[in-house]
Amino acid sequence: MSQRPSYAVGTGLFIVLGFAALGYLATQTTSVVNTSRGPTYTVDAHFANIGQLKVRAPVKVAGVRVGQVQSITLDPGKETADVKLAIDQRYDKIPDDTVATIFTSGLLGDQYVGLQYGSSQKTLAEGGTLALTRPAQQLEEMLGKFFGAGGAADNLAGSYTVKARFTNIGALSAGAPVKMAGVAIGSVQSVRADPVKLDAEVTLSIDKKFNQIPDDSAAAVFTSGLIGTQYVAIQPGGSPDMLKEGDELVLTQSALQIEDLIGKFLVNGSPSDKKPADGDAKH
Amino acid sequence: MSLSMTRDNIVLRSLEQIGNCGLFLLRMLAAVPRSLRHYRETIRQLWFVGAMSLIIIMVCGLFVGMVLGLQLYDVLSIFGGTSATGTVVAIAIYRELGPVVTALLFAGRAGTSVTAEIGLMRATDQIAAMEMMAVDPIAYVAVPRFLAGVIAMPLLSCVFCALGIFGGHLVGVNWLGIDNGTFWSNMTATVEVGKDVINGVLWKSFVFGIVVSLIAVFQGYTTPPTSEGVAYATTRTVVASSIAILALDFVLTAFLM
Amino acid sequence: MTDPISAKPDDSALVRVRGLTTVLNGKKVFDALDMDIPRGKVTAIMGPSGTGKTTLLKHITGQMRGDAGEVWVDGQSVSKLSREKLFELRERIGYLFQNSALLTDFDVFENVAFPLRQHTQLPEVLIRNIVLTKLQAVGLRGAAALMPAELSGGMARRVALARAIVFDPMLILYDEPFVGLDPIALNQVLKLIRTLNETLGITSVLVAHELEAIKQVADHIYLIANGKVVAQGDPKTIASDGSPWTRQFFGGDADGPVPFQYPAGDYATSLGFPRRGA
Repeated sequence: MSQRPSYAVGTGLFIVLGFAALGYLATQTTSVVNTSRGPTYTVDAHFANIGQLKVRAPVKVAGVRVGQVQSITLDPGKETADVKLAIDQRYDKIPDDTVATIFTSGLLGDQYVGLQYGSSQKTLAEGGTLALTRPAQQLEEMLGKFFGAGGAADNLAGSYTVKARFTNIGALSAGAPVKMAGVAIGSVQSVRADPVKLDAEVTLSIDKKFNQIPDDSAAAVFTSGLIGTQYVAIQPGGSPDMLKEGDELVLTQSALQIEDLIGKFLVNGSPSDKKPADGDAKH
Repeated sequence: MSLSMTRDNIVLRSLEQIGNCGLFLLRMLAAVPRSLRHYRETIRQLWFVGAMSLIIIMVCGLFVGMVLGLQLYDVLSIFGGTSATGTVVAIAIYRELGPVVTALLFAGRAGTSVTAEIGLMRATDQIAAMEMMAVDPIAYVAVPRFLAGVIAMPLLSCVFCALGIFGGHLVGVNWLGIDNGTFWSNMTATVEVGKDVINGVLWKSFVFGIVVSLIAVFQGYTTPPTSEGVAYATTRTVVASSIAILALDFVLTAFLM
Repeated sequence: MTDPISAKPDDSALVRVRGLTTVLNGKKVFDALDMDIPRGKVTAIMGPSGTGKTTLLKHITGQMRGDAGEVWVDGQSVSKLSREKLFELRERIGYLFQNSALLTDFDVFENVAFPLRQHTQLPEVLIRNIVLTKLQAVGLRGAAALMPAELSGGMARRVALARAIVFDPMLILYDEPFVGLDPIALNQVLKLIRTLNETLGITSVLVAHELEAIKQVADHIYLIANGKVVAQGDPKTIASDGSPWTRQFFGGDADGPVPFQYPAGDYATSLGFPRRGA
């Protein structure tokens, strides 16, 4: 008889704990907003390229979710994708000259439709059309822009150029970063094939701040992770003489083909290659 | 000839078991209104099958979350996507590991004890004694244990999932150094209440709760009242429950996707 | 078959079995069995093992139904009762199981209180008084807080008896109440059966083998074998009955109407010897 209250209390505790866990799962680990389906209105937008945009992808204004993609269809006879956006009724003051752009959350994230408000007095209504759209950016273009811009900024302090020869540069392109110990110290200025030696001659533009690099340093073409971009890594040597404008890096290591890389990962995993991957993830 | 005979018999016997199991479920459902008077017994059973399973569920949830965090971090770092660790841990736990592992643990921890308990009650004439005291044993013994299992399973699943997320967070953020904000924001951006928590955790574990409790109670109730019969029934509870859980998991996933 | 209409509610027989025929697993357990159990008396049912004495008790409580014939308890035909009516009837019947069948989850007090809690909404004080009265009657009031696992066989049986009488039933069925009891416990149970019968006038039906014990307590003895009543009477007369059944049963002969050998094929043939002659 005396044990009755104890198990009743214990059972009650168990039930409360279970529901607390449910509440925690439902509110703390999910976005409740994602499923709030208030009344919505639908507008059309035509895109030249939707990239990886999917139905139910979010529609955001200033980064805040205001609705979701309802459907994606291809107009017969036209070369543009017709995307229907379901926007919450609460946000009914969207100007009709708003620009719809397909963005990507981070480098590898999902794509979403971002709305940038125009200045028109008229607002969008049910069935309206967003005339101004910008298609999805291809990853390659974005990366090119991203790293190109980074390199240009570094050059402001002044730089000196050195050459390096590789038998294979993989997908290395002008504007790719030059890193030492994982930190960018310059960028690739130009890449050209040598018609005589039949290899690639890469010109590296290195920030003037870094003028204490030994002249027997090695240059290697590395990849940020499996599908990241390629960059040139400088591994310092031990010579007392430093690199100067117009020098050539003699010791080079060519780019590994992605197939080789995958093979390496699958067979024995290569911890040294993971570090740059981590660095990349911090972007 | 004799081989085909035994095979026939196995098929027939399995079908007979499934049929009897279904009929038993109907008998229990019919007895639910009568067993409402025994709500105290249901609460007591909830204590035994639910609250007493909490420790094992919590410990296992924590370790499943931790090992998921570790493995996913390792794999995702190849792709430079360690920030997605939280998301993948949450989705893997909500959609599959949470309800399935909870159900398997529940079958092993609570299902067997229910089967053995009812089997022994039958072997020691306690069931017959209830019949004689004009107490319906279906309503007093079977239904409370069944209901307790059906109620406890989703709750246990939720606890398992919460501890799993905690374990993933512990490994990912505290040990491996994923940014705390990234971990949570990626998770909350991707995990959906409807698809992952309600369909994934609640619905699945509710169905698993029905199936595991039904099998456990049925095996206990229909076992031959001997020590050998009880031992065999306990084994069958685990085997049948495990197969049913994994098979149903596939069906449910296909339907709920 | 005997006419079942002869069973009337006000009859002196509380339980009336007429033409009961039961086949279990292809074996005929009862073959047109007729039996009357008088009100307010202690009736013993004896017989060789496997003659269906326990099965007969199960027929009386409606746990089993015969293939033919009827069992009347207090004027009601058991096999025709609905589940609700049957449960009402069972509330008035106490049943003492061979292995006591106490609920292992509960202590002694709750075991005895179990029928009260299930069927009544009595206040806790009243339940306590009733339970303690019954436990006092079987001499185990001091053991109220013990769990069934802590009880000896004799104590468990007395607790089961207290539980069986908690509703002051009109009929108590004892299934092998003396098995496995030491002489002291056996005498205690005997005394209880006698006391319950004398003080409360409860009709008692005993299934047992212990002839000496039964002689002390029973008013009437039925000896059943091969699905029929082979002898009946009060303890003194039945022992002097000259039938071979009673001689073998009470005399304890190994062979007789109840064969020592389980039915088998020819002994020599099973040992592999060639059949001699014809």
